[in-house]
Amino acid sequence: MAGNYWDRYAREMSVCHRLPTGLKLSLTLTVILLGCLIPVEHWPVHILLLSLVFAGQSLAGISVSYLVKRLSLFLPMISILSLSLPLSHGGSAGWIIAASIFLRGALAFMAMLWLVNVTTTDQMLETMRRYGMPAIVVATLAFMYRYLFLAWDERDRMLQARRARTFGTPTVRQRWQLGTQLIGMLLIRSMSRAERIYGAMCARGWNGTVHHWDSPVTAETVGRIQRKAG
Amino acid sequence: MPASGSAASESSAAISVRRLNFAYAGDRSALTDVSFDVQRGEIVAIVGPSGAGKSTLLMHLNGLLPADVPRRRDADEPAITIAGQTIVRENLPNIRRFVGFLFQDPDDQLFCPTVGEDVAFGPLNLGCSQAEVTKRVIESLTAVNLADAISRSTLQLSMGERKRVCLAGVLACRPEVLALDEPFSNLDPRARNNLLDCLRQFDGTIVLTTHDLDVVVEFCTRVLVLDNGCLHADGPPAEILANSSLMQRHGLEVPFRLQSRQ
Repeated sequence: MAGNYWDRYAREMSVCHRLPTGLKLSLTLTVILLGCLIPVEHWPVHILLLSLVFAGQSLAGISVSYLVKRLSLFLPMISILSLSLPLSHGGSAGWIIAASIFLRGALAFMAMLWLVNVTTTDQMLETMRRYGMPAIVVATLAFMYRYLFLAWDERDRMLQARRARTFGTPTVRQRWQLGTQLIGMLLIRSMSRAERIYGAMCARGWNGTVHHWDSPVTAETVGRIQRKAG
Repeated sequence: MPASGSAASESSAAISVRRLNFAYAGDRSALTDVSFDVQRGEIVAIVGPSGAGKSTLLMHLNGLLPADVPRRRDADEPAITIAGQTIVRENLPNIRRFVGFLFQDPDDQLFCPTVGEDVAFGPLNLGCSQAEVTKRVIESLTAVNLADAISRSTLQLSMGERKRVCLAGVLACRPEVLALDEPFSNLDPRARNNLLDCLRQFDGTIVLTTHDLDVVVEFCTRVLVLDNGCLHADGPPAEILANSSLMQRHGLEVPFRLQSRQ
């Protein structure tokens, strides 16, 4: 997975990108909250909110193909989740709730996609910290972001190694078997990496307290300190 | 020929290891009866085949292994002394201040979103002021020629850059000893030379593990040969690594640089 799979547009410079991070975060949360509070019977309002989010994405220069690819990952999951309720009632009830889960899920996903594409991760984490989110939560999110890509790369390498030794077309059953083995191996490797990361943190004096570096460094500061150091 | 240091040499040594034994849980012994001293300012390479116990030994120097304090074989005493302090749990914060550890895989060490934040991690944990942290971050990144990468994402670095950022993260803690676990692995010659240039500027003790024996001849003042958890040789690289029968016995080869001399 490329390092910018989810936030490919985060470092662009559109009108949306130039808005203060706090405002972007508040707008996103407001849209999600409105979507959750407004009953699904008022579906035109949901459509209006979705249109607003879509307009925001267009303003931010996010391409339609990018959206379609990400939605193609998300929509099947939310569809299965929302359909599980009416299906559990034999299709006789629960359709309104299913529609509500689907609409609200899609709206929240689109809004979050807009947010991560108009704000860089470090800006987002910095804003969360400023808004009083506990430092340990911010640090955990930062680690999650960093290591998500490493886990994905690990998965890619394992798949590649598997393909290199696959001589023929595996059956569906074999694919499932290999898939579960892969997930198991990923879990074990993630655990051993977690141990090594913890070791690396301890080696640099980690004692369980999260500290924050509060100095935005400008080119001028870099130059001044370099001159002083000779 | 493991060193058999006296009490006097033990006290002046930056690192003193005495009859160290260690085994991972449920596994065969990883280190057996290992003893040596490292004097201040020495550059010591630990070489040996894969699985010899090199990384395990190096990790002990920073108190990183999850097991209890490493013990001597002949007595129930701590086996390792760093700058006069034994490796016991209470001393670990001080020892980690003294010994900076560079991991083999830079991705284990780069866990912050930006280069600057990652280098700042150590000084912040040391309790430095914000101004001091900024100063150390810039100075360390300048020392590894990456001052312009301060705001870059840690995801966007090449392997050579990642290794140098990791080194900057260690240097920012101002250690007196650098413990480097295979610092030259996965590096092309240019990246390796860049890293070597950065290390040459370091004014302290260095202990490193490596398979690159030409670098050992070029850069180190002493070499230890470790195989199967035991120390088999200790001396100047030009002498030890030129011994072809010793090299062969321990799964190593006389480095190209010394072959051409022979």
